[in-house]
Amino acid sequence: MKRYLKKYCDILGPSGMEDAVREAIIADIKDSGCEYKTDAVGNLLVFKKGKKSRAKKVLFSAHMDEVGFMVKYIDEQGYILFDAIGGVDRRVVSGRRLVFCESNLPGVVASKAVHMQTPEEKGKCEAISSMHIDIGASDRETALKYVSIGDCATFVPNYEEFGDGMVCSKALDDRFGCAILVAMINSELEYDTYFAFNTCEEVGCDGAKEVAHNLRPDVVVVIETTTAGDILGVPKSKCACQVGSGAVLSIMDRSTIYDQGLLEAAVEIATEKNIKWQYKNVIAGGNEAGEYQRGAEGAKVLAISAPARYIHSQSNVLKMSDMEAVADLVSALNERSFD
Amino acid sequence: MEKLYELVENFTSYPGVSGYESMAFEELENYVKSLGIFDEFGTTPAGSFYGIIRCGKKDAEMILCDAHLDTIGCLVTEICDGGFLKVANVGGIAGKILSGSDVNIYGKKAIKGIFASKPPHLQEPGESEKKIEVVDMCIDTGLSKEELEKIVRIGTPVAFPCRLEKLVDNNLAGAGFDDRLCGAAIVRGLMMLDKSKLNVDVAFQFSGGEEIGYKGARTNTYKLNPDKAIVIDVTHAFVPGAPKAREAVYAGKGGDICLSPQTNRAFTKYCIEVCKKENIPYQISASPGATGTNSNAVQTTRNGVPVMLISIPLKNMHTMSEIVNMDDAYNTARVVSAVIQSL
Repeated sequence: MKRYLKKYCDILGPSGMEDAVREAIIADIKDSGCEYKTDAVGNLLVFKKGKKSRAKKVLFSAHMDEVGFMVKYIDEQGYILFDAIGGVDRRVVSGRRLVFCESNLPGVVASKAVHMQTPEEKGKCEAISSMHIDIGASDRETALKYVSIGDCATFVPNYEEFGDGMVCSKALDDRFGCAILVAMINSELEYDTYFAFNTCEEVGCDGAKEVAHNLRPDVVVVIETTTAGDILGVPKSKCACQVGSGAVLSIMDRSTIYDQGLLEAAVEIATEKNIKWQYKNVIAGGNEAGEYQRGAEGAKVLAISAPARYIHSQSNVLKMSDMEAVADLVSALNERSFD
Repeated sequence: MEKLYELVENFTSYPGVSGYESMAFEELENYVKSLGIFDEFGTTPAGSFYGIIRCGKKDAEMILCDAHLDTIGCLVTEICDGGFLKVANVGGIAGKILSGSDVNIYGKKAIKGIFASKPPHLQEPGESEKKIEVVDMCIDTGLSKEELEKIVRIGTPVAFPCRLEKLVDNNLAGAGFDDRLCGAAIVRGLMMLDKSKLNVDVAFQFSGGEEIGYKGARTNTYKLNPDKAIVIDVTHAFVPGAPKAREAVYAGKGGDICLSPQTNRAFTKYCIEVCKKENIPYQISASPGATGTNSNAVQTTRNGVPVMLISIPLKNMHTMSEIVNMDDAYNTARVVSAVIQSL
């Protein structure tokens, strides 16, 4: 899993522009003996034969896209007005370095010097739609040579290990899930298994809607990052989950009511195999599991997540041991027939 | 221009939050020595570093070029459970730009930290629109409190890493340009001098403590006892939403020569004439009060030193992504060189 992680995290792939991520994944799975195809809207569907077949169609799912930014207008002075793709807190944007997809052009989200802020402005962050990107262009004509309306950008690739086994990157959400799935595809599987790398999760889980219809799975396990609120001063009851405490099992979030039977199975396996795990203890957030649960005829769904601090910023922070716990739990779960 | 870029790359790589400038001394001296342009080097107690070029003429006057060595940053105020640090800012830093950004923490060894950002499920409605101060935030080090206590203490400096990124139209993004960039411009200017035709001794001072009251400039100038001085700092380039009067200075139009009661008008006018004669682009701005630079500290040292202040226009000052037009930095270096050579 780790060998794919940095590579995938450093790719630029905001919602709607997942092509580079998909190509990298295909390059890594094409010799694994799996069958794969890209659907009409860019989702990558994979089937890998196991030693045995099983009656239920079991699907593991992760999303390829990350949050990003899109150019809306270029003003007379060559500054670029833009807005976010996906949910991004305005306070993680000002002053950040961005890079444009395809052209790799660098840009800076301008941040007015503290000395020039009026008392009214001081300390408060303007809306992203009021910010601008500076690429250094002195006027509109120059800027237009490099950037057009509709162009997309992401935070700069910045994968780095730090602290006590921590990893920081702009796109661990959810290239981490992609890395786990690719590692599974490249391993010997007990049972026939389906995999989906889907698009546009950050803007409404659109990719999963199509995958659900296409594959009609019976059981879906979503591999995600989920918000860890375990920062200074937050009581445990509000943390949702904690970095370092292992794989996260969700009971309910804003999009999904997870299947009790699958939850029990996951807990049983984790306990049996001595894999660190924890419950997500708040009902918040959501992921593509909701679309699988209510897509086509519906499916039984489970989410196994890695606790992640500061997702949707340039610095998603995850702990390697948590990611390994997720990998172990997911692999062990897939050794079951689900009959 | 390549040489100037190399100087900027070097100078912005050293730590040196106000009060901790000496952390940069060794690397700075080694690098500046390798350039082979100075005859003497030294430091003074308030965090300043200097180099002197001797013209070899008896009783020669001395001209001083000043930029400040210290950068903005933070100091650790508390080591907390879970490996988080509380910090206070040194120099003006807006809390609203910090969530999710990374910093270098210069403890017993340098470690990485990330300003924590509050997840959506813990935010009150509209919270992201509200004021946020540096002291209300915390830095995640990814270490346990016990491990962290072995590396960091109260007062450990914290600063933005400088990642240089070339932008369009010869613009450059980075951190710590205030004021390492100006040190680079001075040294680049001194490298242009024809030493055989020099009539004055030339001193370069990288002074400490500017962001907290111009301490190093005053004491190091006292030590060097110059006859004239050029002070170089950064100034705000006009950006959308800035006050109208700021339109006096744009990025890309040259160094900004400041007219102020805190600089010497006769010497400043003289320098402007040199720029005209040598066809060096420049801009003029006015500071009726304090210039917010070392100019006053230098000018009021000992019997008084006539000061000319030239500033390099900068966007996003005091952030992790300051932007300079390198033509402005280069043209400022040319002013330094031309003025010294003309004396």
